[in-house]
Amino acid sequence: MADPASRPRLLLLLPSTTYRATAFVEAAHRLDLDLTVATDHANVFASREPDRLLTIDLAHQERAVREVRAFARQHPVAAVVGVDDDTAVIAAAIAEELGLRHNPLAAARAARDKHRQRVLHAERGVRVPESALHEVGEPPEAVARDAPYPCVLKPLCLSASRGVIRADTPEQFVAAHAALARILAAPDVAALGTAARRYLVERFVPGPEVALEGLLVGGRLQVLALFDKPDPLDGPTFEETIYVTPSRLPWAVQRAVGECAARAAEALGLVTGPIHAELRVGDGGPWLIEIAARPIGGRCSRVLRFGEGPDAISLEELLLRQAAGLSIETCQREAQPVGVMMLPTPRAGRLLGVSGADAALGVPGVEGIEMTVYPGQRLVPLPAASRYLGFIFARAETPASVEAALRRAHACLTFDIEPE
Amino acid sequence: MDREIRIKAEPIDTERCRFVVSEPLLEGGARRFASAEEAKGSPLAEALFGIAGVSEVVVSGGTITVAKDTPTPWQATGKQVGAAIRAAFAAGGPLIAEAAAVSSEDDERLYGRVADLFEAEINPAVARHGGTVELIDVQDAMVLLRMGGGCQGCGMADVTLRQGIEVLLKKRLPEIRGLIDVTDHSAGSNPYVTASKK
Repeated sequence: MADPASRPRLLLLLPSTTYRATAFVEAAHRLDLDLTVATDHANVFASREPDRLLTIDLAHQERAVREVRAFARQHPVAAVVGVDDDTAVIAAAIAEELGLRHNPLAAARAARDKHRQRVLHAERGVRVPESALHEVGEPPEAVARDAPYPCVLKPLCLSASRGVIRADTPEQFVAAHAALARILAAPDVAALGTAARRYLVERFVPGPEVALEGLLVGGRLQVLALFDKPDPLDGPTFEETIYVTPSRLPWAVQRAVGECAARAAEALGLVTGPIHAELRVGDGGPWLIEIAARPIGGRCSRVLRFGEGPDAISLEELLLRQAAGLSIETCQREAQPVGVMMLPTPRAGRLLGVSGADAALGVPGVEGIEMTVYPGQRLVPLPAASRYLGFIFARAETPASVEAALRRAHACLTFDIEPE
Repeated sequence: MDREIRIKAEPIDTERCRFVVSEPLLEGGARRFASAEEAKGSPLAEALFGIAGVSEVVVSGGTITVAKDTPTPWQATGKQVGAAIRAAFAAGGPLIAEAAAVSSEDDERLYGRVADLFEAEINPAVARHGGTVELIDVQDAMVLLRMGGGCQGCGMADVTLRQGIEVLLKKRLPEIRGLIDVTDHSAGSNPYVTASKK
């Protein structure tokens, strides 16, 4: 291990509830980086290892910046990395304060704000659904009268389809609004402030949905992976389930998707680091649904490897290499088709146990299963769901066989859930 | 043995995978094998080093952590590991030979000092979040440990491990080469923090 004093210090912003801690920390460990983890909940060793573990207020950006500025006076920071929507903005603010390379703060903020990005994209000719911003306190009947049906109600501040509901009629709109209002009133959401009281109403775009994982290098987008989402996402809720890459869409469509994502990143002013974009392939080409200045969520990155052979690296290692200014041999994903299934919550209740994991692991092509809930935990399905049950990972000879393996493995699993 | 042996594979990364076995592999303590030479006399470890690319094997209780230095996906290597484990059980007899459990004097000395740190500093610290960390063994200056309570399955367990425990141990005992966590984190039933979407 190199002398810590000779290595650049990388500040990693990890919310205590992130799915990503192990992947990022292990990647930093492999790279032998001088790592400081900044999190919102004091680690038990924070007072003993103050140069390695920092506690900052991730809920208040200005306070977090002040805390890091004070820390950096004693422990100079060379790079800062966020791992999700919120920490991507805080990382940009910290970088601006410390004069580090990062996305401009305004760009990071625009990527975090679903309304702001809609406006900027529309202004700059990126195809986005027609949308309007509303306060949850407005009478829903009035908003319902002018909504473009079929439409989607989408909270400004939540991720991973939480709170996103389709409505095809004014009556459905009012019901969807009531459900959304309950979600936004939950204490963990209400704590997010003004954004927790706002939502978009936007036209539903039919067609298959894809997810693009990309890396911006000097403002230029490198597509790391394009995932098909073979389960139709037509609502009324939008449960993310299966992701498979490489995409089976025609090459010309894939290229158009990449170009659309690149224009979307440019329109916001994003220039460096990861992007994760969701697009629909509708009539006349791709529509941008959302773009975020962060990597793919949950544990999904586990299926991504870049390069071939023993030198292949994980997505997190690629991102940390870029942030730390280390060389990157390749951004080319390995040739093997891979996929991940985010396990949907079948119904509300208390989880008593999961059976069938052995059979699921025995399905040819299945590489692993990770459960991220534990017996006794309370489960909530979409649209209010706030966690994944777990993840199934697969790799096989073709994208179709990856998808089949994930479906077969999922069918093996039984969730014993006690109604509450 | 006619009991069904259930094996759960938990890849940590491309190089390492933890296998949780329904039957104990080694009762009391742990054993780390860094080469085929070291594995001689321990049938299960010998069999695992017969798999192409396997570079390290750590056995503790019902958990076995295998490291490899080839790009072969765990999907393929894992099946070979599973077959080797089942074959070793089917053959009967001890899976890990008694003789293999002898530690070097350096490791014995390190074990005592690490155990003191666990008792005096590490466990009192993690207890604040309802956690425990059990020192399993020190082998070739590698510390084998198992997390429990609030640490088992905690979303921040790896942060505690790498940024807290490992840093503390290496500062006090620079001869320590690293830590190996043999915890079955998926079996944690009361983690201090769990991951969630926002």
